[in-house]
Amino acid sequence: MSLKRRNGPRAIAAFLLLSVLQISLQAVPSLAPQLAGRLKTSNNQPVTVNGLSANTGASVLSGATIETGADQSATVDLGPLGSIEISPNSKVILTFEQGTAKATVITGCATVKADKGTTGEIATEQGTSRKTDPAAGGTLDMCFPERAGATPSSQPAPPSPNENAGGLFGLGRAATIAILSAAGAAALTPLWFQDNPSGSNP
Amino acid sequence: MIRVNLRLIRPAVAIVVIAFCLFLIQASARIGFSRLLSRYALIANSIPAADEAVRLSPSDPDAHRTRATVLNRLQMTGEASKSLETATSLRYRDDYLWLELANAREEIGDKAGALVALDQAVHWAPYYAHTHWQRGNLLLRLGRYDEAFAELRTAAAANRSYVPNLIDLAWGVSRNDLNTTRQLIQFNDERERLALLRLLASRKAFRDAFEVWSGSDSVRSPMLFNGGFEDQIVLNDATFGGWILPPEQTKNKLAIDVSERSAGTRSLQISLAGDWNPGTSLLSQTVIVEPNKTYRVFFSVMTKDLVTGGPPVFTVNDAANNQLLGKSESLPTGTSQWSKLQFEFTTLATSEAAVIRLQRNNCDSSPCPIFGTLWLDDISIEVK
Repeated sequence: MSLKRRNGPRAIAAFLLLSVLQISLQAVPSLAPQLAGRLKTSNNQPVTVNGLSANTGASVLSGATIETGADQSATVDLGPLGSIEISPNSKVILTFEQGTAKATVITGCATVKADKGTTGEIATEQGTSRKTDPAAGGTLDMCFPERAGATPSSQPAPPSPNENAGGLFGLGRAATIAILSAAGAAALTPLWFQDNPSGSNP
Repeated sequence: MIRVNLRLIRPAVAIVVIAFCLFLIQASARIGFSRLLSRYALIANSIPAADEAVRLSPSDPDAHRTRATVLNRLQMTGEASKSLETATSLRYRDDYLWLELANAREEIGDKAGALVALDQAVHWAPYYAHTHWQRGNLLLRLGRYDEAFAELRTAAAANRSYVPNLIDLAWGVSRNDLNTTRQLIQFNDERERLALLRLLASRKAFRDAFEVWSGSDSVRSPMLFNGGFEDQIVLNDATFGGWILPPEQTKNKLAIDVSERSAGTRSLQISLAGDWNPGTSLLSQTVIVEPNKTYRVFFSVMTKDLVTGGPPVFTVNDAANNQLLGKSESLPTGTSQWSKLQFEFTTLATSEAAVIRLQRNNCDSSPCPIFGTLWLDDISIEVK
Protein backbone atom coordinates (compact mmCIF):
# COMPACT_ATOMS: atom_id res chain seq x y z
CA MET A 1 0.00 0.00 0.00
CA SER A 2 2.74 2.43 0.96
CA LEU A 3 4.61 1.53 -2.22
CA LYS A 4 1.52 2.46 -4.25
CA ARG A 5 1.26 5.76 -2.42
CA ARG A 6 4.89 6.55 -3.20
CA ASN A 7 4.57 5.64 -6.89
CA GLY A 8 1.34 7.57 -7.44
CA PRO A 9 2.84 11.09 -7.23
CA ARG A 10 5.82 9.98 -9.30
CA ALA A 11 3.58 8.71 -12.06
CA ILE A 12 1.58 11.93 -12.02
CA ALA A 13 4.78 14.00 -12.13
CA ALA A 14 6.10 11.96 -15.04
CA PHE A 15 2.78 12.36 -16.86
CA LEU A 16 2.82 16.13 -16.29
CA LEU A 17 6.41 16.36 -17.51
CA LEU A 18 5.53 14.45 -20.66
CA SER A 19 2.53 16.70 -21.26
CA VAL A 20 4.60 19.86 -20.88
CA LEU A 21 7.26 18.47 -23.19
CA GLN A 22 4.64 17.57 -25.76
CA ILE A 23 3.18 21.07 -25.72
CA SER A 24 6.58 22.74 -25.89
CA LEU A 25 7.55 20.57 -28.84
CA GLN A 26 4.43 21.58 -30.74
CA ALA A 27 4.56 25.28 -29.93
CA VAL A 28 5.64 27.63 -32.69
CA PRO A 29 9.10 28.98 -31.92
CA SER A 30 9.25 32.60 -30.92
CA LEU A 31 10.02 34.58 -34.04
CA ALA A 32 12.13 37.68 -34.13
CA PRO A 33 9.88 40.59 -35.06
CA GLN A 34 10.39 41.90 -38.54
CA LEU A 35 8.94 44.78 -40.46
CA ALA A 36 6.18 43.91 -42.92
CA GLY A 37 4.84 46.30 -45.54
CA ARG A 38 1.23 46.61 -46.56
CA LEU A 39 0.25 46.27 -50.20
CA LYS A 40 -2.23 48.61 -51.83
CA THR A 41 -3.13 48.05 -55.45
CA SER A 42 -4.77 50.40 -57.91
CA ASN A 43 -8.53 49.86 -58.19
CA ASN A 44 -8.07 46.82 -55.95
CA GLN A 45 -6.71 44.80 -58.89
CA PRO A 46 -4.41 41.96 -57.90
CA VAL A 47 -0.68 42.15 -58.62
CA THR A 48 1.96 39.45 -58.27
CA VAL A 49 4.05 39.13 -55.11
CA ASN A 50 6.74 36.44 -55.29
CA GLY A 51 4.89 34.95 -58.24
CA LEU A 52 1.60 34.73 -56.33
CA SER A 53 -1.51 36.81 -56.76
CA ALA A 54 -1.96 39.41 -54.00
CA ASN A 55 -4.40 42.19 -53.36
CA THR A 56 -4.82 45.25 -51.16
CA GLY A 57 -4.18 44.38 -47.52
CA ALA A 58 -1.58 41.69 -48.22
CA SER A 59 1.64 41.74 -46.22
CA VAL A 60 4.91 42.23 -48.05
CA LEU A 61 8.12 41.02 -46.45
CA SER A 62 11.65 42.14 -47.22
CA GLY A 63 13.05 40.43 -50.31
CA ALA A 64 9.69 40.24 -52.07
CA THR A 65 9.46 40.62 -55.83
CA ILE A 66 6.44 42.56 -57.03
CA GLU A 67 5.23 42.47 -60.61
CA THR A 68 2.51 44.64 -62.10
CA GLY A 69 0.60 44.24 -65.36
CA ALA A 70 -0.32 46.82 -67.95
CA ASP A 71 -3.26 48.28 -66.03
CA GLN A 72 -1.96 47.67 -62.54
CA SER A 73 0.10 49.69 -60.13
CA ALA A 74 0.88 49.11 -56.48
CA THR A 75 2.11 50.90 -53.40
CA VAL A 76 3.80 49.18 -50.49
CA ASP A 77 3.36 51.13 -47.26
CA LEU A 78 6.40 50.55 -45.09
CA GLY A 79 5.07 52.41 -42.07
CA PRO A 80 7.79 54.48 -40.41
CA LEU A 81 10.19 53.94 -43.32
CA GLY A 82 8.00 55.46 -46.03
CA SER A 83 6.56 53.79 -49.09
CA ILE A 84 7.50 52.33 -52.45
CA GLU A 85 5.35 52.79 -55.56
CA ILE A 86 5.50 50.39 -58.47
CA SER A 87 4.26 51.58 -61.87
CA PRO A 88 2.35 49.46 -64.41
CA ASN A 89 4.34 46.84 -66.33
CA SER A 90 7.12 46.73 -63.74
CA LYS A 91 9.06 44.17 -61.78
CA VAL A 92 10.74 45.37 -58.60
CA ILE A 93 12.51 43.69 -55.67
CA LEU A 94 11.90 45.33 -52.30
CA THR A 95 14.35 45.05 -49.42
CA PHE A 96 13.86 46.87 -46.17
CA GLU A 97 14.75 46.81 -42.52
CA GLN A 98 14.85 49.33 -39.72
CA GLY A 99 16.32 52.53 -41.21
CA THR A 100 16.60 51.45 -44.85
CA ALA A 101 14.21 50.88 -47.74
CA LYS A 102 15.45 49.82 -51.15
CA ALA A 103 13.79 49.13 -54.49
CA THR A 104 15.72 47.25 -57.16
CA VAL A 105 14.06 47.84 -60.52
CA ILE A 106 14.30 44.80 -62.79
CA THR A 107 12.02 46.28 -65.42
CA GLY A 108 9.64 49.24 -65.45
CA CYS A 109 9.53 52.08 -62.99
CA ALA A 110 9.43 52.58 -59.23
CA THR A 111 9.44 55.43 -56.73
CA VAL A 112 10.90 55.27 -53.22
CA LYS A 113 9.50 57.75 -50.71
CA ALA A 114 11.73 57.67 -47.65
CA ASP A 115 10.65 59.32 -44.43
CA LYS A 116 13.07 61.19 -42.17
CA GLY A 117 15.44 58.79 -40.43
CA THR A 118 15.33 56.30 -43.31
CA THR A 119 17.86 55.85 -46.07
CA GLY A 120 15.84 55.34 -49.22
CA GLU A 121 17.63 53.67 -52.11
CA ILE A 122 16.67 52.86 -55.65
CA ALA A 123 18.82 50.77 -57.93
CA THR A 124 18.91 48.55 -60.97
CA GLU A 125 20.47 45.11 -61.26
CA GLN A 126 23.09 46.70 -63.50
CA GLY A 127 24.46 48.64 -60.56
CA THR A 128 22.97 52.12 -60.98
CA SER A 129 22.02 53.35 -57.54
CA ARG A 130 20.83 56.49 -55.78
CA LYS A 131 20.18 57.16 -52.09
CA THR A 132 18.32 59.70 -50.01
CA ASP A 133 19.76 61.59 -47.08
CA PRO A 134 18.26 60.05 -43.92
CA ALA A 135 18.44 63.43 -42.18
CA ALA A 136 16.03 64.94 -44.67
CA GLY A 137 14.18 62.03 -46.23
CA GLY A 138 13.11 62.36 -49.84
CA THR A 139 11.76 60.80 -53.00
CA LEU A 140 13.68 58.88 -55.66
CA ASP A 141 12.42 57.39 -58.86
CA MET A 142 13.93 55.26 -61.57
CA CYS A 143 12.96 53.39 -64.71
CA PHE A 144 14.75 50.49 -66.33
CA PRO A 145 15.25 50.41 -69.20
CA GLU A 146 14.74 54.11 -69.49
CA ARG A 147 11.64 54.61 -71.58
CA ALA A 148 10.45 57.75 -73.23
CA GLY A 149 7.30 58.98 -71.52
CA ALA A 150 7.44 56.23 -68.92
CA THR A 151 8.91 58.04 -65.98
CA PRO A 152 7.54 57.18 -62.57
CA SER A 153 5.81 60.53 -62.53
CA SER A 154 3.69 59.25 -65.41
CA GLN A 155 2.15 56.80 -62.98
CA PRO A 156 -1.53 57.67 -62.65
CA ALA A 157 -1.75 60.59 -60.26
CA PRO A 158 -4.66 60.76 -57.87
CA PRO A 159 -7.57 62.09 -59.89
CA SER A 160 -8.57 65.63 -59.16
CA PRO A 161 -12.03 66.41 -57.94
CA ASN A 162 -14.43 67.44 -60.67
CA GLU A 163 -14.12 71.17 -60.95
CA ASN A 164 -16.56 71.54 -63.84
CA ALA A 165 -18.64 74.31 -62.29
CA GLY A 166 -22.23 75.12 -63.19
CA GLY A 167 -25.29 72.95 -63.66
CA LEU A 168 -27.09 71.09 -60.95
CA PHE A 169 -25.09 70.86 -57.67
CA GLY A 170 -22.04 72.12 -59.55
CA LEU A 171 -21.92 69.00 -61.68
CA GLY A 172 -21.67 70.77 -65.01
CA ARG A 173 -24.30 71.36 -67.65
CA ALA A 174 -23.79 68.19 -69.68
CA ALA A 175 -23.87 66.00 -66.59
CA THR A 176 -26.96 67.77 -65.31
CA ILE A 177 -28.84 67.21 -68.58
CA ALA A 178 -27.75 63.56 -68.64
CA ILE A 179 -28.72 63.06 -65.03
CA LEU A 180 -32.10 64.73 -65.33
CA SER A 181 -33.00 62.79 -68.48
CA ALA A 182 -32.03 59.53 -66.80
CA ALA A 183 -33.53 60.39 -63.43
CA GLY A 184 -37.03 59.26 -64.31
CA ALA A 185 -35.86 55.85 -65.44
CA ALA A 186 -33.55 55.47 -62.49
CA ALA A 187 -36.30 56.33 -60.04
CA LEU A 188 -38.30 53.39 -61.27
CA THR A 189 -35.39 51.02 -61.01
CA PRO A 190 -36.31 48.31 -58.54
CA LEU A 191 -33.96 48.49 -55.63
CA TRP A 192 -32.75 45.53 -53.86
CA PHE A 193 -30.80 45.72 -50.64
CA GLN A 194 -28.92 42.79 -49.27
CA ASP A 195 -27.47 43.11 -45.84
CA ASN A 196 -24.75 40.49 -45.95
CA PRO A 197 -23.23 39.71 -49.32
CA SER A 198 -21.46 36.66 -47.90
CA GLY A 199 -24.28 34.28 -47.15
CA SER A 200 -24.21 31.64 -44.51
CA ASN A 201 -22.52 29.13 -46.84
CA PRO A 202 -19.28 29.96 -48.58
CA MET B 1 -74.90 59.79 -38.57
CA ILE B 2 -73.50 56.64 -40.14
CA ARG B 3 -74.22 58.01 -43.64
CA VAL B 4 -72.27 61.19 -42.84
CA ASN B 5 -69.30 59.18 -41.59
CA LEU B 6 -69.23 57.02 -44.73
CA ARG B 7 -69.27 60.11 -46.88
CA LEU B 8 -66.28 61.50 -45.00
CA ILE B 9 -64.32 58.26 -44.67
CA ARG B 10 -64.14 57.45 -48.39
CA PRO B 11 -62.46 60.70 -49.47
CA ALA B 12 -60.25 60.55 -46.38
CA VAL B 13 -59.04 57.08 -47.28
CA ALA B 14 -58.49 58.18 -50.86
CA ILE B 15 -56.45 61.15 -49.69
CA VAL B 16 -54.35 58.96 -47.40
CA VAL B 17 -53.72 56.45 -50.21
CA ILE B 18 -52.80 59.21 -52.65
CA ALA B 19 -50.50 60.77 -50.07
CA PHE B 20 -48.89 57.42 -49.42
CA CYS B 21 -48.38 56.86 -53.16
CA LEU B 22 -46.90 60.34 -53.52
CA PHE B 23 -44.58 59.59 -50.63
CA LEU B 24 -43.48 56.35 -52.28
CA ILE B 25 -42.94 58.11 -55.61
CA GLN B 26 -40.93 60.81 -53.92
CA ALA B 27 -38.86 58.28 -51.96
CA SER B 28 -38.20 56.21 -55.08
CA ALA B 29 -37.21 59.30 -56.98
CA ARG B 30 -34.84 60.38 -54.21
CA ILE B 31 -33.19 56.99 -53.96
CA GLY B 32 -32.99 56.56 -57.71
CA PHE B 33 -31.55 60.01 -58.21
CA SER B 34 -29.10 59.38 -55.37
CA ARG B 35 -27.94 56.19 -57.07
CA LEU B 36 -27.55 58.06 -60.33
CA LEU B 37 -25.46 60.71 -58.65
CA SER B 38 -23.37 58.00 -56.98
CA ARG B 39 -22.61 56.48 -60.36
CA TYR B 40 -21.69 59.82 -61.77
CA ALA B 41 -19.50 60.54 -58.73
CA LEU B 42 -17.59 57.33 -59.31
CA ILE B 43 -17.07 58.06 -62.98
CA ALA B 44 -16.08 61.70 -62.54
CA ASN B 45 -14.46 61.42 -59.07
CA SER B 46 -16.83 64.17 -58.04
CA ILE B 47 -17.09 64.90 -54.33
CA PRO B 48 -20.08 67.29 -54.79
CA ALA B 49 -22.03 64.56 -56.57
CA ALA B 50 -21.14 62.02 -53.88
CA ASP B 51 -22.12 64.52 -51.16
CA GLU B 52 -25.42 65.21 -52.89
CA ALA B 53 -26.10 61.48 -53.22
CA VAL B 54 -25.60 61.13 -49.48
CA ARG B 55 -27.82 64.15 -48.77
CA LEU B 56 -30.62 62.75 -50.91
CA SER B 57 -30.44 59.29 -49.40
CA PRO B 58 -28.69 59.50 -46.03
CA SER B 59 -29.82 56.05 -44.96
CA ASP B 60 -28.40 54.32 -48.05
CA PRO B 61 -25.06 52.69 -47.14
CA ASP B 62 -24.12 52.50 -50.81
CA ALA B 63 -24.19 56.28 -51.07
CA HIS B 64 -21.72 56.53 -48.18
CA ARG B 65 -19.60 53.76 -49.63
CA THR B 66 -19.44 55.57 -52.96
CA ARG B 67 -18.43 58.76 -51.20
CA ALA B 68 -15.68 56.82 -49.41
CA THR B 69 -14.45 55.34 -52.69
CA VAL B 70 -14.23 58.77 -54.29
CA LEU B 71 -12.46 60.21 -51.25
CA ASN B 72 -10.03 57.29 -51.22
CA ARG B 73 -9.18 57.87 -54.85
CA LEU B 74 -8.47 61.48 -54.03
CA GLN B 75 -6.27 60.30 -51.15
CA MET B 76 -8.58 61.79 -48.51
CA THR B 77 -8.49 58.59 -46.50
CA GLY B 78 -9.50 60.13 -43.18
CA GLU B 79 -12.78 61.41 -44.61
CA ALA B 80 -13.26 58.12 -46.44
CA SER B 81 -12.91 56.28 -43.15
CA LYS B 82 -15.71 58.39 -41.63
CA SER B 83 -18.00 57.65 -44.58
CA LEU B 84 -17.30 53.95 -44.23
CA GLU B 85 -18.06 54.12 -40.51
CA THR B 86 -21.48 55.52 -41.39
CA ALA B 87 -21.95 52.87 -44.08
CA THR B 88 -21.08 50.05 -41.68
CA SER B 89 -23.45 51.45 -39.06
CA LEU B 90 -26.24 51.37 -41.66
CA ARG B 91 -25.40 47.91 -42.99
CA TYR B 92 -23.45 46.29 -40.21
CA ARG B 93 -23.69 42.74 -41.56
CA ASP B 94 -21.75 43.54 -44.76
CA ASP B 95 -18.28 42.01 -44.30
CA TYR B 96 -16.91 43.80 -47.39
CA LEU B 97 -17.81 47.17 -45.89
CA TRP B 98 -15.94 46.22 -42.71
CA LEU B 99 -12.92 45.19 -44.80
CA GLU B 100 -12.96 48.52 -46.61
CA LEU B 101 -13.20 50.33 -43.29
CA ALA B 102 -10.28 48.30 -41.95
CA ASN B 103 -8.17 49.20 -44.98
CA ALA B 104 -9.01 52.89 -44.65
CA ARG B 105 -8.27 52.89 -40.92
CA GLU B 106 -4.92 51.16 -41.38
CA GLU B 107 -3.97 53.63 -44.07
CA ILE B 108 -4.44 56.51 -41.67
CA GLY B 109 -2.39 54.65 -39.06
CA ASP B 110 -5.25 53.42 -36.89
CA LYS B 111 -4.23 49.76 -36.67
CA ALA B 112 -6.24 49.10 -33.53
CA GLY B 113 -9.36 50.48 -35.25
CA ALA B 114 -8.57 48.40 -38.31
CA LEU B 115 -8.40 45.27 -36.18
CA VAL B 116 -11.78 46.08 -34.62
CA ALA B 117 -13.25 46.42 -38.12
CA LEU B 118 -11.70 43.12 -39.18
CA ASP B 119 -13.09 41.45 -36.07
CA GLN B 120 -16.51 42.52 -37.29
CA ALA B 121 -15.80 41.29 -40.82
CA VAL B 122 -14.84 37.87 -39.45
CA HIS B 123 -17.87 37.91 -37.16
CA TRP B 124 -20.29 38.44 -40.06
CA ALA B 125 -18.56 36.10 -42.50
CA PRO B 126 -16.94 33.48 -40.29
CA TYR B 127 -16.84 30.71 -42.89
CA TYR B 128 -15.26 32.76 -45.66
CA ALA B 129 -11.55 32.91 -46.35
CA HIS B 130 -11.14 36.57 -47.31
CA THR B 131 -12.04 37.96 -43.88
CA HIS B 132 -9.67 35.61 -42.05
CA TRP B 133 -6.95 36.30 -44.61
CA GLN B 134 -7.15 40.07 -44.15
CA ARG B 135 -7.26 39.78 -40.36
CA GLY B 136 -4.29 37.39 -40.40
CA ASN B 137 -2.29 39.81 -42.50
CA LEU B 138 -2.96 42.70 -40.15
CA LEU B 139 -2.00 40.58 -37.13
CA LEU B 140 1.21 39.64 -38.94
CA ARG B 141 2.04 43.30 -39.49
CA LEU B 142 1.35 43.86 -35.80
CA GLY B 143 3.93 41.17 -35.01
CA ARG B 144 1.37 38.84 -33.39
CA TYR B 145 2.63 35.85 -35.33
CA ASP B 146 0.87 33.03 -33.47
CA GLU B 147 -2.55 34.64 -33.89
CA ALA B 148 -1.69 35.73 -37.42
CA PHE B 149 -0.81 32.26 -38.64
CA ALA B 150 -3.78 30.70 -36.89
CA GLU B 151 -5.98 33.11 -38.85
CA LEU B 152 -4.08 32.62 -42.11
CA ARG B 153 -4.37 28.85 -41.74
CA THR B 154 -8.13 29.20 -41.24
CA ALA B 155 -8.30 31.20 -44.46
CA ALA B 156 -6.22 28.64 -46.36
CA ALA B 157 -8.42 25.84 -45.05
CA ALA B 158 -11.53 27.66 -46.28
CA ASN B 159 -9.99 28.54 -49.66
CA ARG B 160 -7.13 26.39 -50.94
CA SER B 161 -5.91 29.11 -53.29
CA TYR B 162 -4.44 30.86 -50.23
CA VAL B 163 -2.13 27.90 -49.44
CA PRO B 164 0.82 29.10 -51.59
CA ASN B 165 0.50 32.62 -50.11
CA LEU B 166 0.42 31.16 -46.59
CA ILE B 167 3.58 29.17 -47.26
CA ASP B 168 5.25 32.19 -48.83
CA LEU B 169 4.54 34.32 -45.74
CA ALA B 170 5.69 31.56 -43.38
CA TRP B 171 8.91 31.13 -45.35
CA GLY B 172 9.55 34.89 -45.17
CA VAL B 173 8.64 35.32 -41.51
CA SER B 174 10.76 32.31 -40.54
CA ARG B 175 13.68 33.85 -42.45
CA ASN B 176 13.91 30.84 -44.75
CA ASP B 177 13.97 28.25 -41.98
CA LEU B 178 12.24 25.05 -43.05
CA ASN B 179 11.38 23.71 -39.60
CA THR B 180 9.83 27.00 -38.49
CA THR B 181 7.96 27.27 -41.78
CA ARG B 182 6.52 23.80 -41.25
CA GLN B 183 5.43 24.69 -37.73
CA LEU B 184 3.78 27.89 -38.93
CA ILE B 185 1.85 26.34 -41.79
CA GLN B 186 1.10 23.04 -40.03
CA PHE B 187 0.28 21.31 -43.30
CA ASN B 188 -1.51 18.06 -43.08
CA ASP B 189 -2.12 16.83 -46.60
CA GLU B 190 -0.23 15.99 -49.76
CA ARG B 191 -1.33 19.07 -51.72
CA GLU B 192 0.07 21.40 -49.09
CA ARG B 193 3.31 19.43 -49.05
CA LEU B 194 3.53 19.81 -52.83
CA ALA B 195 2.87 23.53 -52.54
CA LEU B 196 5.75 23.81 -50.07
CA LEU B 197 7.93 21.79 -52.41
CA ARG B 198 7.13 24.12 -55.31
CA LEU B 199 7.93 27.20 -53.24
CA LEU B 200 11.25 25.77 -52.06
CA ALA B 201 12.23 24.77 -55.60
CA SER B 202 11.29 28.24 -56.90
CA ARG B 203 13.40 29.85 -54.15
CA LYS B 204 16.30 27.57 -55.07
CA ALA B 205 16.29 26.08 -51.56
CA PHE B 206 17.18 22.72 -53.05
CA ARG B 207 18.34 20.96 -49.91
CA ASP B 208 15.17 21.93 -48.08
CA ALA B 209 13.14 20.86 -51.12
CA PHE B 210 14.92 17.54 -51.05
CA GLU B 211 14.11 17.16 -47.37
CA VAL B 212 10.42 17.84 -47.95
CA TRP B 213 10.30 15.62 -51.01
CA SER B 214 12.10 12.65 -49.53
CA GLY B 215 10.85 13.04 -45.98
CA SER B 216 14.44 12.69 -44.78
CA ASP B 217 16.78 15.41 -43.57
CA SER B 218 19.90 13.40 -44.38
CA VAL B 219 20.85 14.41 -47.89
CA ARG B 220 23.01 11.78 -49.54
CA SER B 221 24.68 13.58 -52.40
CA PRO B 222 24.55 12.96 -55.29
CA MET B 223 21.25 11.17 -55.54
CA LEU B 224 19.37 10.54 -58.77
CA PHE B 225 15.92 9.07 -58.41
CA ASN B 226 14.40 6.39 -60.55
CA GLY B 227 17.41 6.30 -62.88
CA GLY B 228 16.38 2.83 -64.04
CA PHE B 229 12.75 3.88 -64.66
CA GLU B 230 11.60 1.07 -62.41
CA ASP B 231 9.04 3.42 -60.77
CA GLN B 232 6.38 5.68 -62.25
CA ILE B 233 7.62 8.96 -63.72
CA VAL B 234 6.27 12.22 -62.34
CA LEU B 235 5.22 14.07 -65.45
CA ASN B 236 4.12 17.64 -66.04
CA ASP B 237 4.67 18.60 -62.43
CA ALA B 238 7.25 21.30 -61.96
CA THR B 239 8.22 20.21 -58.48
CA PHE B 240 11.42 18.91 -57.03
CA GLY B 241 12.40 15.26 -57.17
CA GLY B 242 12.18 12.61 -59.85
CA TRP B 243 11.92 12.98 -63.60
CA ILE B 244 9.97 15.91 -64.98
CA LEU B 245 8.47 16.20 -68.44
CA PRO B 246 7.67 19.79 -69.46
CA PRO B 247 4.04 20.31 -70.51
CA GLU B 248 5.04 21.36 -74.03
CA GLN B 249 6.67 17.98 -74.62
CA THR B 250 3.57 15.84 -74.21
CA LYS B 251 3.30 15.31 -77.98
CA ASN B 252 6.18 12.85 -77.74
CA LYS B 253 5.10 9.51 -76.37
CA LEU B 254 6.93 8.30 -73.30
CA ALA B 255 6.32 4.80 -72.01
CA ILE B 256 7.80 2.41 -69.49
CA ASP B 257 8.97 -0.56 -71.56
CA VAL B 258 9.13 -3.98 -69.88
CA SER B 259 10.39 -5.82 -72.97
CA GLU B 260 13.54 -3.77 -73.59
CA ARG B 261 15.94 -2.98 -70.77
CA SER B 262 19.61 -2.65 -70.09
CA ALA B 263 19.32 -3.39 -66.38
CA GLY B 264 16.54 -4.14 -63.93
CA THR B 265 13.11 -4.95 -65.35
CA ARG B 266 12.14 -1.79 -67.25
CA SER B 267 13.42 1.06 -69.39
CA LEU B 268 12.02 4.34 -70.72
CA GLN B 269 10.84 4.30 -74.33
CA ILE B 270 10.55 7.65 -76.10
CA SER B 271 8.71 7.68 -79.44
CA LEU B 272 9.62 10.81 -81.37
CA ALA B 273 7.23 12.13 -84.00
CA GLY B 274 9.12 15.22 -85.07
CA ASP B 275 7.98 17.68 -82.37
CA TRP B 276 11.00 18.36 -80.22
CA ASN B 277 12.66 21.71 -80.68
CA PRO B 278 16.46 21.71 -80.43
CA GLY B 279 17.67 23.30 -77.21
CA THR B 280 14.54 22.40 -75.26
CA SER B 281 14.47 19.76 -72.58
CA LEU B 282 12.43 16.60 -73.03
CA LEU B 283 13.14 15.12 -69.63
CA SER B 284 14.93 16.54 -66.61
CA GLN B 285 15.78 15.86 -63.00
CA THR B 286 17.26 18.09 -60.30
CA VAL B 287 19.91 16.44 -58.13
CA ILE B 288 21.59 17.66 -54.97
CA VAL B 289 25.35 18.14 -55.42
CA GLU B 290 28.32 19.42 -53.45
CA PRO B 291 30.20 22.53 -54.58
CA ASN B 292 33.54 22.22 -56.41
CA LYS B 293 33.26 18.53 -57.12
CA THR B 294 33.51 16.47 -60.28
CA TYR B 295 30.81 13.91 -60.97
CA ARG B 296 30.41 11.20 -63.53
CA VAL B 297 27.03 10.40 -65.10
CA PHE B 298 26.40 6.94 -66.56
CA PHE B 299 23.49 5.96 -68.78
CA SER B 300 22.42 3.24 -71.20
CA VAL B 301 20.85 4.07 -74.53
CA MET B 302 19.34 2.14 -77.44
CA THR B 303 17.80 3.52 -80.64
CA LYS B 304 15.61 2.32 -83.49
CA ASP B 305 15.31 4.22 -86.79
CA LEU B 306 16.28 7.47 -85.08
CA VAL B 307 16.60 10.05 -87.86
CA THR B 308 17.63 13.64 -87.17
CA GLY B 309 20.18 16.31 -87.95
CA GLY B 310 20.29 17.27 -84.25
CA PRO B 311 20.74 14.13 -82.16
CA PRO B 312 19.76 14.01 -78.47
CA VAL B 313 22.31 14.76 -75.79
CA PHE B 314 22.46 14.85 -71.97
CA THR B 315 23.42 18.17 -70.39
CA VAL B 316 23.99 19.21 -66.78
CA ASN B 317 23.39 22.80 -65.65
CA ASP B 318 23.71 24.52 -62.31
CA ALA B 319 20.20 24.68 -60.83
CA ALA B 320 20.60 28.20 -59.50
CA ASN B 321 22.06 30.07 -62.47
CA ASN B 322 21.61 27.56 -65.32
CA GLN B 323 25.31 27.64 -66.19
CA LEU B 324 26.33 24.63 -68.30
CA LEU B 325 28.49 22.28 -66.19
CA GLY B 326 28.85 19.31 -68.54
CA LYS B 327 27.52 17.60 -71.63
CA SER B 328 27.50 14.06 -73.02
CA GLU B 329 28.49 13.14 -76.54
CA SER B 330 25.60 12.95 -78.99
CA LEU B 331 23.39 9.90 -78.53
CA PRO B 332 23.59 7.39 -81.38
CA THR B 333 21.22 7.74 -84.34
CA GLY B 334 19.85 5.08 -86.71
CA THR B 335 19.39 1.68 -85.07
CA SER B 336 21.72 0.65 -82.26
CA GLN B 337 21.85 -1.93 -79.48
CA TRP B 338 22.16 -0.99 -75.79
CA SER B 339 25.37 0.93 -75.17
CA LYS B 340 26.61 2.33 -71.88
CA LEU B 341 27.87 5.93 -72.12
CA GLN B 342 29.26 8.35 -69.57
CA PHE B 343 30.30 11.95 -69.19
CA GLU B 344 31.63 14.23 -66.46
CA PHE B 345 30.71 17.58 -65.02
CA THR B 346 32.24 19.79 -62.34
CA THR B 347 30.10 21.88 -60.01
CA LEU B 348 30.66 25.55 -59.16
CA ALA B 349 31.84 26.92 -55.82
CA THR B 350 28.24 27.98 -55.18
CA SER B 351 26.45 24.90 -56.50
CA GLU B 352 23.80 23.23 -54.33
CA ALA B 353 21.95 21.37 -57.04
CA ALA B 354 22.28 20.55 -60.72
CA VAL B 355 19.72 19.78 -63.41
CA ILE B 356 20.30 16.80 -65.70
CA ARG B 357 18.42 17.28 -68.96
CA LEU B 358 17.81 15.27 -72.07
CA GLN B 359 17.78 17.74 -74.93
CA ARG B 360 18.89 18.04 -78.54
CA ASN B 361 21.83 19.48 -80.36
CA ASN B 362 21.05 22.16 -82.89
CA CYS B 363 20.78 21.23 -86.56
CA ASP B 364 22.77 22.91 -89.29
CA SER B 365 19.52 23.94 -90.98
CA SER B 366 15.95 24.64 -90.01
CA PRO B 367 13.42 23.00 -89.60
CA CYS B 368 15.07 20.31 -87.53
CA PRO B 369 12.67 17.39 -86.95
CA ILE B 370 13.44 14.13 -85.16
CA PHE B 371 11.78 10.78 -85.80
CA GLY B 372 12.27 7.29 -84.39
CA THR B 373 12.46 5.57 -81.04
CA LEU B 374 14.90 5.97 -78.19
CA TRP B 375 15.27 3.87 -75.03
CA LEU B 376 17.02 5.06 -71.86
CA ASP B 377 17.93 2.99 -68.84
CA ASP B 378 20.20 2.71 -65.83
CA ILE B 379 21.06 6.40 -65.41
CA SER B 380 23.27 6.99 -62.40
CA ILE B 381 25.61 9.57 -60.99
CA GLU B 382 28.68 9.24 -58.77
CA VAL B 383 31.47 11.39 -57.42
CA LYS B 384 34.66 11.04 -59.44
